[in-house]
Order: sequence, then C-alpha cells, then structure tokens
Amino acid sequence: MAATRIRTAVIAAVAYIIGIIFILPYVEMVITALRPQKELLDRNYLPHHFTWSTFSNLWGSNLNVTSGLETSLEIAGGATLVVLLVALPAAYYTARRKFRGRGAFLLLVLATQILQPTVLIVGLYKEFINFGLQHFSPVWSLILVNAAFNLAFSIWILNAYIGSIPAELEEAAMVDGTSRLGALFKVTIPIAMPGIVTALIFTFIAAWNEFITALTLTTNPSQYPLTVVMDAFRGAYEVDWQHLFAASVIATIPVLVLFAFIERRIVGGLTAGSIK
Amino acid sequence: MSNIVTAGPATAGRTQDQPPGRRQRKYPRVRAILAPLPWIGPAIVLIGLVVIWPIVVMFQTSFQNITADGINIGSAGWRNFSGVLNNANLPGILLRTVIWVAVVVGATMLISLGLAQLFNQRFPGRTVVRWALIAPWAASVMMTALIFRWMLDPNNGAINILLHQLGIVHGFNTNQSAWLANPDSAMAWMIVVAVFVSVPFTTYVLLAGLQTIPGELYEAARVDGASLWETYRRITLPLLRPAFFIGLVINLMNVFNSFPIIWEMTQGGPGYETSTSTIFMYNLKAINVGQSAAMSIVNFAIVLVIVFAFLRMNRRTLQEAR
Amino acid sequence: MKSRLMAAAAVSAAALAAVAGCSSSSSTTGSNSGSGSSSGSVTLHLFGADYGAGTTNVSTTTFWNQVATAFHKKYPNITVDVSTVNWNAYPDKVKALIQNQQYPDILEGSAAPPYAAENLIYPTSQIISQSTLSNLVPKFLNDTQYNGTAYGVPWTTSTRALCYNKAMFSKAGLSSPPTTWAQLQSDAAAIKSKTGNVGFGLPLGSEEAQAESLLWFLGNGGGYLSSSGSYDINSAQNIATMNFLKSFAASGDTEPGAGSANRTDLWNSFAEGKIGMVNCSPAIVPIVKLKGAVSTSDLGVTAIAGKNGPLTQTLGVHDDIVAFKSGGHAAQIKLFLDFAYQDQWQLAFNNDYDLLPATQSGDQAFGQQNPVFSQYMTNIANSVNYPAKANWTTVENQIKQTMGQVVTGSPSSILGAIQQTASTASS
Repeated sequence: MAATRIRTAVIAAVAYIIGIIFILPYVEMVITALRPQKELLDRNYLPHHFTWSTFSNLWGSNLNVTSGLETSLEIAGGATLVVLLVALPAAYYTARRKFRGRGAFLLLVLATQILQPTVLIVGLYKEFINFGLQHFSPVWSLILVNAAFNLAFSIWILNAYIGSIPAELEEAAMVDGTSRLGALFKVTIPIAMPGIVTALIFTFIAAWNEFITALTLTTNPSQYPLTVVMDAFRGAYEVDWQHLFAASVIATIPVLVLFAFIERRIVGGLTAGSIK
Repeated sequence: MSNIVTAGPATAGRTQDQPPGRRQRKYPRVRAILAPLPWIGPAIVLIGLVVIWPIVVMFQTSFQNITADGINIGSAGWRNFSGVLNNANLPGILLRTVIWVAVVVGATMLISLGLAQLFNQRFPGRTVVRWALIAPWAASVMMTALIFRWMLDPNNGAINILLHQLGIVHGFNTNQSAWLANPDSAMAWMIVVAVFVSVPFTTYVLLAGLQTIPGELYEAARVDGASLWETYRRITLPLLRPAFFIGLVINLMNVFNSFPIIWEMTQGGPGYETSTSTIFMYNLKAINVGQSAAMSIVNFAIVLVIVFAFLRMNRRTLQEAR
Repeated sequence: MKSRLMAAAAVSAAALAAVAGCSSSSSTTGSNSGSGSSSGSVTLHLFGADYGAGTTNVSTTTFWNQVATAFHKKYPNITVDVSTVNWNAYPDKVKALIQNQQYPDILEGSAAPPYAAENLIYPTSQIISQSTLSNLVPKFLNDTQYNGTAYGVPWTTSTRALCYNKAMFSKAGLSSPPTTWAQLQSDAAAIKSKTGNVGFGLPLGSEEAQAESLLWFLGNGGGYLSSSGSYDINSAQNIATMNFLKSFAASGDTEPGAGSANRTDLWNSFAEGKIGMVNCSPAIVPIVKLKGAVSTSDLGVTAIAGKNGPLTQTLGVHDDIVAFKSGGHAAQIKLFLDFAYQDQWQLAFNNDYDLLPATQSGDQAFGQQNPVFSQYMTNIANSVNYPAKANWTTVENQIKQTMGQVVTGSPSSILGAIQQTASTASS
C-alpha cells in the first residue's frame, strides 16, 4: 500500500514538473507582455514594474482584437463542423467497407495533406477570385479552405480509430433491428469518441492558428481573424512586443476553454486503461 | 485475444461486398462505384474543389518564368527544375532536412510514448497537468517560436539568464550566448522547439489509443504474473500500433512542412545554413517564383516517397486497422 | 479497379477544367469590379503598405481613408477603395495580386522598374499634373526612371544617419562621435570596455541587409553600381569593405551574431540604452521617445562614418506609387494623386510615421515643424538610392538572405554570388 502511495507521489511529481515545463514559455509571454517599455530588455526574470494596462487596452476597437477573436471563432468553428460532417461518414465507410478505389481514396486524401496552403497560396487566391468570393465574406472561403486542408488528417485518424473497433459490435446492434446509420450513431461513435474529439481539436486548432491563407484572402482589418490582427503588431520599424505577446496569450484561451470542456471525452474514464 | 484485432471489419467487409444473387442484378459495377459516393463524395468534392486546383496552378507555375515581383515573363520549360536541382545549397539543405525530420519525429514519438503512459496513470491533479500539456498545441507555433527566440536573446533572454546562473553560459552578448546566430546551436534549439510543439498532439493521439485498450487484458497479464516491461511490450505496444502509426505519419508530414519555427527563429539563415527544404522553397519565392514552385514539387515528391515507404512497411498495420 | 479510378479521375478533371475555363474568361485583367466607364462613377483601387505598428502608430488604412473621403467630397464621381497590409506581409500579398493579374489602380510601396519593364504601368507624366511633377524632389524622381522615362511617383522618403547615445559616450570617455571607420571601431571598443554595453549595432540580418551594406559600401567609395550604371557588387572596394566588417564583428565590439541581427531589434536595444551607436533614420525618434530610456538630449545624430571621413552621400530610400494601366483610369488617378500630394497630406503622413516628404514644399514645411530631423533632411540632396533596375527585387532578396554570411564566411565569394545573380537574372 505504501509502495503504491510512493509510486503515485513520484508519478505525480514527475508529471507536475513536465506540466510546468510545458507552461513556462507561455508564462514568459505573460511576463514580457507586462514589462514596461523601459524594462523590456532588462536582464532579469521579472521586471520591477508591471504594466497591467497592456492587457486592458488590448480591447480597444482600433486594435481589432475583439473582432479578430469573433472572426477566428467563426472560421475555426465552421471549419471543424464541416470537417466533422464530411470526414466522419468518409472515414466510417472507408474503415468498414472494402470498396473499389478505397486505397486510392486514402492515398489521394493523404497526398493532398502533404501540401500546405503556404505553398498553394497563389492558386487559392486565384480560386477565390474566380469564384467571385471576394464579394462575400472571406469567412466562408476560409472555412472551406481550412476544412479542406485538415480533412485528410481527420479522415485518417478516424479511419484508424473506427477500424480498431470490432464490427461485431455494430453487427450485434443491427441484428436487433437498428439501421446501419443507427448503429453508427449508437454504437460506433460513442466508442470512437476519443478519436473523434482528437480529430476535432486538431482541426479547430489548425484553423484557429492558420495565418497565411487568412492574410491573403482578407482585404481589410474588419475581416481579419486574430492571427492576422496579431501580425499587424509587427511594424516596419518596431514591434509592439507587449501587445503581441498579450494578444497571443489571449488567443490561446478559447482553445484551452474548448479543451477543458471536452478533455473528459478524450481521456475520461471510458476504459480502465492504466497499467498497474 | 488476437481475435479482437485481426477479425472484424476485414472479414465483415468481404462478406458484404459479395451480394446475394437475387438483389443486385443490373449494373453491379456501376452500383459498386456509386455506393461509396454518398459517404466519401463530400470529401472528394471538398478536396477536389479547394485543394486540387491550386495544385494544378502550382504545377503550371513551375514551368513558367516568374520574377520575384510576380510577373510572368514566359515559359521556362524545365529550367526551373534544373535551376533548383543544380543549386549549390541544395545538398546541404536536403541533408539538414533529413536530420531535422528524423531527430524531431524520433524524439517526439519516443517522448510522447512516455508521456502518454505517464498521463494515463491516476494521480491527483491529473486533469490539470493534462490541460497544461495542451498549451504548446493551442498556442500558435509562430508565437511559440517567437517567445523561444525572445528567451534566447544574447543580451537578456531568460534561458541565457538561467544558463548563466548555472555556469553554462559565461557571458552575455557573447557568441556563445547568441545561440541562434550559429547554425549548429540554432538547429539544436529549433529541434527542441519543434519537439516541444509536436509532443502534445502526439501524446493525446497515443493517449486516446491507450484508452481503447480494454482493461481486462492488463488484468489477465497481471494474473499471469507478467512484468511491467513485458506487459508494455506484449500488450500495449502492439495495440497502440494504429495510433502510433497515425501519429508517426502525421508528424512526418508536419515536421517536413514545418515553417514558422525556423522562419521566426533564423529565417533559414545565415545564408541557407539553417534552411530545410520547405524554408528553401519559401526563400526561393523572393528570388524566382517559378523556381519556388518547382521546389514545392520536389518537396511534394520527397514527402510522397517517404510516406509511401512507410505505408509499405506498415501494410500489416493498415490491414489490422481495418 | 485501376481503369475505373482513371475514368472517375478523368471525369472529375474534365469537370474541373470546364469550371476553370468557364470562370477564368471573366477575370482577365481588372480588379475594377463595379467601375463603370464613360461619365459614370469610377472606383479606384489603392493597395499600399501599412507603416503603423500596433498601438503606437495609426494604421495607414486610416490615413488613406481620410484622403479618400476628402477626395470623394471634392469629386463625388470617384471613389477610392483602400487596402493596406503590413510590411512583413506586403511582398507576398503584392506578389499574389500581380501573379493573378489583379492589378490595383494605385500601388503604394513598390519600385517602378519591374513593372515598367513589362509595360504594366503608366509613365509618371500621365498620372500627375505638371505642377505636382515639378514640386517633387528631383533627386527621387530621377530614381524612378526606366529606359529614360519616369514611371513611378515617390511618395515618402527617408535618409540615414548615425545615431549615438551621448550619455554612453561620455561615460566611455568619448567627447565626439566617430567620423572614420577606425574611430568607429575604437569608440565601439571603448564603449564595450567602459560601460559593458554593445558598442555598435550592425544589422546584417535578412531584414535590411541591403541598406546597411550600402551604407558601408558608400563609405569606401563603392556601391551597388559602377559609375557606368551596371551592377558591380563584388568590386574590390566592396570586398574590402566586407572584410572590414568581418573583422569588426569578430572583434566583439558589435553585438554577437551580426550576420543575423535585424535593424528592428537593434533599434529597440538602442532606444533602451543598451547599444552605443547604430545607423538610423528619422523613424528611430519616436521609438526612443516611447522607451523613455534615452532622453532627447542624449540622442546624438551625425553623418555616417566612412572609411576616411564622414559620408557625403548617404542612403536615401523612397517608397513609390505606381499606377497600373489595366483599369484605364489614368484621368481619375491623376486627379487623386494631385489631391494626395498636397502639403497637408504629405505632412500628415510623414508626421505620423516619421518619414520625410517627397515634395519640395512638403519638405520645407516639414523641416520647419520638425527641427530634430534637420540632419536627415540635409542628407536628401546627396542621397543615393537602390539601383533602379528591373531585377533589383531578386538581387535585393539575395542580399538580404546571404549578406550576413560575410561575418563568418568569405566576402569575395558571397559578393561574387550576388553579382552573378545580378548580371544573369532576367527582369
């Protein structure tokens, strides 16, 4: 008993240290954001004075941080939703059925994932213009672009997770009279939830932090998502480091909140799963 | 025990693909093609419309002579490709890319295996620590790279302050403290940052994989008296294989394509001494857009080869995952 | 299975091609959606660079919108649609526009020769009136020429000088700023040993290596062009200059890693009193004021040190406006530019961003308003700009990326490689 206690304590201690290491750079971001101008480059861990106003005046309308947050939420949320609706059926079918062109489909999907928007930006811009999308809100274009470029990962992740769930479970449900779709919803999805949530978080974060496409397809500051807003803090002759880092910390919060809500779903007590 | 893994969808799929004689008489092949469409159709449409066209444009661009200002002054034939492949910097860049990918992905996978195991244990405050691990994943990689560059500032960076206190760094504003100015130390630090931002996602992928391993297996192993390491090797690792494989492939692609870290920390410089092939492709855009597109295609080909090689090697895993 | 897949792929490819062919015909040239011709209303599209940063400066979009609004009041038929992007993103964004042939009517921030070489832009005479033309500082207007014709209109300018921290100088026992390279080096060494701060901030990193290099080249009678006007980057003087910089950096009297250091960071350090000397432009003044670590009286501004004496010619850059022919709105563009080049707007812009006006009357008024910039303004008459060549962008980018290597590598081979590109790269 005591051995287990000590073991748990050691494990906890190691985990805490690792957790701290992962948080440290972001703590440094907050500290740097709070440095007054005179002490920005001082050689110390903590400045002598703290400018709390850096965080409070971040919300002024001239900085577009609020609108940037809203826009980013729309884009990331929209893209995640689209990916969910498109990837889940595709992954389910690919995992369960051996159809003609299955291998090719998976490889096509993978191949398109290899190329990132950074490389394809000119063509994306051309599409954007040719489809007349500059007359509509760029949010829609960005939702589609982010969804398309993260589709492959989600399909592959879901394909792997669903594939590792035995089909017998669905068969059993269908024997009882449920349709295939019903089995999907009642049996497979709940069990594959960790994989589904992982794919969703992956997509959300990717869309949330996407920069180059957002920069190219938006034309005025009211349309900017947060990543582009933050880039404006880097000027021609000077960088507004404090506001840049402050905005960056703020930008992380919605993702962390989202994660807090669904963290249970990824790793919360579905199976015992721990080596004793 | 093996039934759970190898039986299942593979066999189920096969039986269902051969329809009972009565049901499908007309155009069985057409039906076979159309059947998956409602399921995979939307994905094909989305990818086709959004991704394929820019890829086509990129291919076209690679055969054009486009100046650094974006002006197309005519066809370049294969000159862009020969220009890129004959570039004196290329061999060094390719070698560096191999090292970059191998070290970052290797370290990430190993560390993530350990962390997933650790965070799968029960201990007080587990939720908080799991949450803390998300920070590098949630923050934008560009900002993480920036704060690391800030912490490595030769004059006042927090890392230098710490290392100075530990006696490792002997003075500020010295060449030693200018980690990012020297290509070798810059690469080392950038590898650290790359691992730092890749580990959270990978850990969670593996963690989710661990969650799907039924507890009864561990019970059975314990009853059989297996040691910790044996249990890990014989039960955990094999069952973790699909998740590990996914994490590996995703990391391979991501790390190869990795851009913000190197760009923000050294811009690939001095010269091209810290450039990977992705950075080089981006740098070429400033010199000759056509060559940049050609380099993108070269990169594309490289990643395809790597990923295909992995798929081949792990065909068994794919089949099991089905 | 393979043949099926091929068939499906062929069908979808054909479909895509059809869609592509369909829509691409409707988007030939022209970014001018909604611009009726003849006597109807016209919309001009202006794309420019944003010179502001975060909370410290007003966004340039705001500036241009003010101009546009006032202009629209005077000419209700003409609307000016403004879009800016910050300087980091500017090259990529402009490239995307140009590659897709989405030419803006007015482009602010790019040099004229590359576009003039491809006959894409109007000559200067067609887009501003004679009175505006004659009010421009002649020096800058000459720089916009391509094949003897002026194509761009300089919008804003800036010259360089040597900034030094007077307080740090006196602490190091130095009474006056250096005028020669040898003095510069010894002054930097004195600052380092007596105050522990960095003596001279040398930015050869990729942000503005081309500017810093030119300042040093000029100091040794070199430059980017030979006297006949062709590229001569690896001239004997230039190689000697870089060899000097290499040894200067190696001596430890500059900041470490000079080959990767960027001007923005060094100016930041200087403003916080951590560096003794740095080559600067007027834009450093508000940064120093903002930091509050170096008082205005301690900010010394003098001519840049040359090898044997102070530079008589310094680097004078100007950001230009060019107007694309694709929209066919030369008349309206002329009205707008004549309006925008009035003193009131030149003063507003350059006061916002601590740059210098491009017009003579503007410079006069500006000099009266801002006596602290006097050193910079006297430098205008003798300033040297970057080569007005169609392939300068390519050369400039290679300089930015590789010049920093002179600090640790071989100046002759690095300069040689750049010269190679300069003489062979097509426009």
